[in-house]
Amino acid sequence: MNFEFTEDQIALRDAAREAISRHRTEPVPGTAPHDGELWKALAELGGLGLPFPEEAGGMGAGPVEAMVVALELGRAGVRTAYSETLTAAAMLGDDELFGAAVEGSRVVVPALFEPMRAWSPTPVDVRADGDALTGVREPVPYAAAAPAVVTTAATADGVGIFAIDNPTFTGARLDLAGVSARRVDGDEVLVQRAINLGTLLLSAEALGAMESALHLTVEYLKSRKQFGVPLMKFQTLTQRAADMYTSLELARSAVYYLAMTLAIRPDDAIGVSRTKVIVGKSGRHIGQEAIQLHGGIGMTAEYAVGHHTARLTEIEHTYGDTRYHLSRLARGVSEYGGLDLVS
Amino acid sequence: MQRGLSPEDEQFRSEMREFFTTAIPQDIRDKVAAGTELSKEDFERSHRIMHEAGLAVPHWPAEWGGKNWSDLQRYIYLDEMQLANVPAPLAFNANMIGPVIATFGSQTMKERFLPPTASLDIWWCQGFSEPESGSDLASLRTTAVLDGDEYVVNGQKTWTTLGQHADWIFALVRTNPAAERQQQGISMLLIPMDAPGVTLRPIQLIDGGHEVNEVFFDNVRVPADQLVGEENRGWDYAKFLLGNERVGVAPTGWIKRKLAAAKEYAAAVASGDGHLIDDPVIAARIAELECDLIALELTVLRVAANSHGGKPDPASSILKLRGSELQQDVLEFIADIAGPSSLSWDLEAESAIADWAHNATPVYLNFRKASIYGGSNEVQRQVISTGILGLKG
Repeated sequence: MNFEFTEDQIALRDAAREAISRHRTEPVPGTAPHDGELWKALAELGGLGLPFPEEAGGMGAGPVEAMVVALELGRAGVRTAYSETLTAAAMLGDDELFGAAVEGSRVVVPALFEPMRAWSPTPVDVRADGDALTGVREPVPYAAAAPAVVTTAATADGVGIFAIDNPTFTGARLDLAGVSARRVDGDEVLVQRAINLGTLLLSAEALGAMESALHLTVEYLKSRKQFGVPLMKFQTLTQRAADMYTSLELARSAVYYLAMTLAIRPDDAIGVSRTKVIVGKSGRHIGQEAIQLHGGIGMTAEYAVGHHTARLTEIEHTYGDTRYHLSRLARGVSEYGGLDLVS
Repeated sequence: MQRGLSPEDEQFRSEMREFFTTAIPQDIRDKVAAGTELSKEDFERSHRIMHEAGLAVPHWPAEWGGKNWSDLQRYIYLDEMQLANVPAPLAFNANMIGPVIATFGSQTMKERFLPPTASLDIWWCQGFSEPESGSDLASLRTTAVLDGDEYVVNGQKTWTTLGQHADWIFALVRTNPAAERQQQGISMLLIPMDAPGVTLRPIQLIDGGHEVNEVFFDNVRVPADQLVGEENRGWDYAKFLLGNERVGVAPTGWIKRKLAAAKEYAAAVASGDGHLIDDPVIAARIAELECDLIALELTVLRVAANSHGGKPDPASSILKLRGSELQQDVLEFIADIAGPSSLSWDLEAESAIADWAHNATPVYLNFRKASIYGGSNEVQRQVISTGILGLKG
């Protein structure tokens, strides 16, 4: 059991941090725009292919390395299609779009949400008859950047995966009727495996966001003066900052552990659900307290802290929220006795 | 980063499991499982079996019975012990005064005290808190004045856990009332409980049990060679004592075992046409507690791997904070599962209600202590905010 980064992983972290800081733009409220320059930098770093084998065109690293990059993105508070592209690529198998996705020459995102439907990794109202799809995907992330799309549909033989090279969006909506789609090898096992990876990356990004939200809060408590003294003189604030730190470190352990787990067991759905719950609870706690401890300044768009909370909220609602994952876990709790994390 | 245990650590784990599940008498482990109070004799039997197997003080220096284990091995040892419902070696001996004497005591003191401390031939109790000195421990007022080659001790200690069984007490006393800082005028003395002038009075707690005591010192004469280390350095020793262990701070094996038991209990309590475990709210509470526990246990494993030669580390405050909270959450849950079957606390042979259910409320009430002792959770938050976050209040 070892939670330490290797030297290579530290070097990757530093390279990612440097690349991100060079291209970082100020966050904006609402839907994230795609930043082509940052994307190019992440691609040049090899960041988009990290968890995929070299023979498939990837970098031959693993989920731990991809997590390292996602953590830096979250810490910097930049929103990119990083988790989306890696999730999409993980569903593409040997499809021709895979190479374009991991080289960064084409933005490829997963279209997995159905409008006004609670999260389900299994398609319900999206169906396929051969390569002919029906149904709607919305919201599709980064639709404004006109990405290629990987989606799933219910077929006669179970869940099918489909690549769409040049979809036409209406806002973030993708009506699948009549689009030109290509079936990709793979079934719901591959879909879930891709979502597992995506959930890890989002969780890592959330961890980075929590880290920064707490850091900003601590600095603010040291510098902001009221009643003639810095806010850190008030224990009602510092005790809450201590709880935020505790939440952060619990989430960190869970995220690191999930990365190690997926490296050897990419289909470990229980591990994914547990991490999403832990990160969900920590993220909500830290995000809310970070704004509250800042006071009014935390509400403003020009100050970074609220954007971290917005991102944490977005992540909470992606690939199943705390409720979804708790419910999934609760259905299985009678099937085993005690927990065993080290074997 | 590497998940899982090495083959050597796997082997170590099965040895520990084998030992704790076979060598410690079943009647003691059953009592622990049901939350029934242990007698002095139960503690002694269990401790001595571990001592004879060389497993009572594995974290001490090797020359005094230590094993030179890695932190991960120490974690596995504690985990397996707790999972098997084995009472830990007496903490006052194994985790408190033993390591202090081994680190700061003179050679003579080590030779005199460490062997009987390891074997539980001396039962120690802790004399730190006083009626006016709880979280503000450094304000303590029990005095020790040197008179010839003896200290004369006067004052009062409180919350002395299992003091009714104790042979000796390690006490913090004020030896220099004029010190610039309160912390600099405190020493640690070793005092026999049967010394003339020592009296003990029980305190009954809300669970009905007698676990803690008041201890009074009235002109108690203590030979000066029973001073630990140097005079006026007692505060440093006390800090060492409270902060030297990280692996054992959060009883994750204990919580894990209680949570597994909670599932069995919920499956045993009828509800409607089925059992409580079928209630989705109960199942969700279990799932959430398991997530909380996993986050804590992984943090123990992660933090333990970074420990630095037994020096106090503010990170252990997280473990104390979350460990005590989660202990309390699980016991609250078990009391809720017991429901009306928890309303009678009396263990009766004829009862159709299981011992765990009779015990559920007193055990729940008893463990409200966990967030108070060893530095209250508010103190732990203070340690985190100042020591880690740099928020100087």
